[in-house]
Amino acid sequence: MTKVRKPLVSPAGQSRDGSLTDIFDVPFDLLRKRTRRDVLIFGTSALAALTAGTVLLPDETMQRIGIRRRFNPRGKDWLLDRAINIDDDVAEALYSSKRLVPTYSKSQVTGLKNNYNGATPGPDYIPGWNLTLSGLQYGLTVSLDLRTLLRRFELHEEITRFVCVEGWSEIAWWGGFRFADLLRAFPPVSQAKWARIESSVNLDVNGNADPYYVSLDIQTAQHPQSLLATHFHGDPLTLEHGAPLRLIVPVKLGLKNVKAITGITFLADEPKDYWRVRGYSRYDGI
Amino acid sequence: MKRNIRDPRGKRRARQRRHPHDRRPQFIVPKRPSFLPVIVQPVAAAIPPNAVTVVRVQIKHHLLVRWAHWTTIPLLLGLILSGISIYWSAPIFQHPADSTGNFDQAADIGIWLCAHVPGLHHYSNPPDWFYNHLSLGPGMLGVALRLHWFCAYLFMTNGVLYLVGLALGGGWRALIPRKSDLLASLQMARYYSLAPFAFLLRRPVIHPAYTGKYNALQKAAYGSVSAAGVLVVLSGWAIHKPMQLYWLAAVFGGYNAARVWHFILMCFFILFVVPHVILVLADGWDTMRSMITGWSLRTETVGGIRRDES
Repeated sequence: MTKVRKPLVSPAGQSRDGSLTDIFDVPFDLLRKRTRRDVLIFGTSALAALTAGTVLLPDETMQRIGIRRRFNPRGKDWLLDRAINIDDDVAEALYSSKRLVPTYSKSQVTGLKNNYNGATPGPDYIPGWNLTLSGLQYGLTVSLDLRTLLRRFELHEEITRFVCVEGWSEIAWWGGFRFADLLRAFPPVSQAKWARIESSVNLDVNGNADPYYVSLDIQTAQHPQSLLATHFHGDPLTLEHGAPLRLIVPVKLGLKNVKAITGITFLADEPKDYWRVRGYSRYDGI
Repeated sequence: MKRNIRDPRGKRRARQRRHPHDRRPQFIVPKRPSFLPVIVQPVAAAIPPNAVTVVRVQIKHHLLVRWAHWTTIPLLLGLILSGISIYWSAPIFQHPADSTGNFDQAADIGIWLCAHVPGLHHYSNPPDWFYNHLSLGPGMLGVALRLHWFCAYLFMTNGVLYLVGLALGGGWRALIPRKSDLLASLQMARYYSLAPFAFLLRRPVIHPAYTGKYNALQKAAYGSVSAAGVLVVLSGWAIHKPMQLYWLAAVFGGYNAARVWHFILMCFFILFVVPHVILVLADGWDTMRSMITGWSLRTETVGGIRRDES
């Protein structure tokens, strides 16, 4: 390419205002060659896209159009996980502990359905209920009953939007104490960046034990609107809403708002998440 | 000749070749202000010393436009299929639950079709018909969300690429409507509605004259579909991050309204595609090819016969 480059085409016309137009005279052979090349590239890409599409579509969908297969190449999960991780990173970057979510008035409150994934647990766990905190700075584990919690911490109320991963949302009125107050009273180990929040009384659809656990970053736990709720619509939590204590994090999807919390563990590394292992996002920031 | 109704002078006029003895200089640097429509790259080795046969072409679509156009198709398809699967888990268009407990209007469509369309009477699960045919399937929220984010991030990257190219290359000018487009679009609508009958009756119908890359209706269609692309991404973010981006949700009228916007914009894309595909099929290979190679043989601008519909 040391030679002086000559352009292959010349503008063949001028528009009325004197500027050059898009009309060119192109050598026929060259045009044919370029066209053949472009059409070939196009056809190959279309085939590649079709293949990629059928690989990426879930097996259940392919079965619906009559293609039975068990096809799960390792790259497929890696690729889709990558997208969901990028999305989580974006959500994390968008988060600010100073940004408060919109709050509503009591007249705007709507109903909130019981969306327990399995059977609703209780009431046999209520009398012996304790909140177990572990991973704390002083001492290993602390168990607190509801009366202690209510006496120790100041109650706050907030009316916020509760957004489910399914797409529906409701405006709910919560009462409880701030997660940040709990962190202040029971400081976690200094390296703690995560909390594992667990409900060991959770049940699956058939009523068998199915402990529910989510990961929550400490920053979200410290958000001023993150509550450990004891009240719903002015009354103590009912079993459907996770009596006696549930998590309310309005900056996260509903599935992070664990009902009937039995334990909180503070950790340096990100713990497993019930929905993450089922193919959903791990961060769930909204 | 008779059948080529929109260009009574026939195809031969469009492909003007130079006479072998034409010695006029052929290679002049095209001094284009924009980087856009130079698709044929200068490669010195490829120039024959005496280029004799030249074809007059119009450079229509920059590589970026063509890239964005074709990649949008699988991405949009993936987004719609996964989007309707996500929609299944919490339909926004509802009515009070009927005797079977159904409250979803999309399920009603399937129930109605299975009751009225012959051959569908024995369909096993009418409420799922809509989701079985227009989505990845019901009950696949987790899978659908993953696929939706995957396609959405590619769709946004693609859209940004297209819009940056449109802005820097000046291609946006071809999409900006003018006052005169109001009348011109009526003329174009008249032409489009007459053309099928004229074709069947083998009668000529004159294409309204226009200047610029697109006619008034094309401008409206391509301009609005680009705008819809921007809006669908924004409403998507409003649904996706209604707390951190609560102001964006408020722009669309709140979280639930943003969901409606997102849904309606999807319908707009589907409605756009139908005439778009019909017109490119009716218009023929030249238009189709121009979206693959970038050039078109239609260089006539006189007499209002410059035809490029798609």
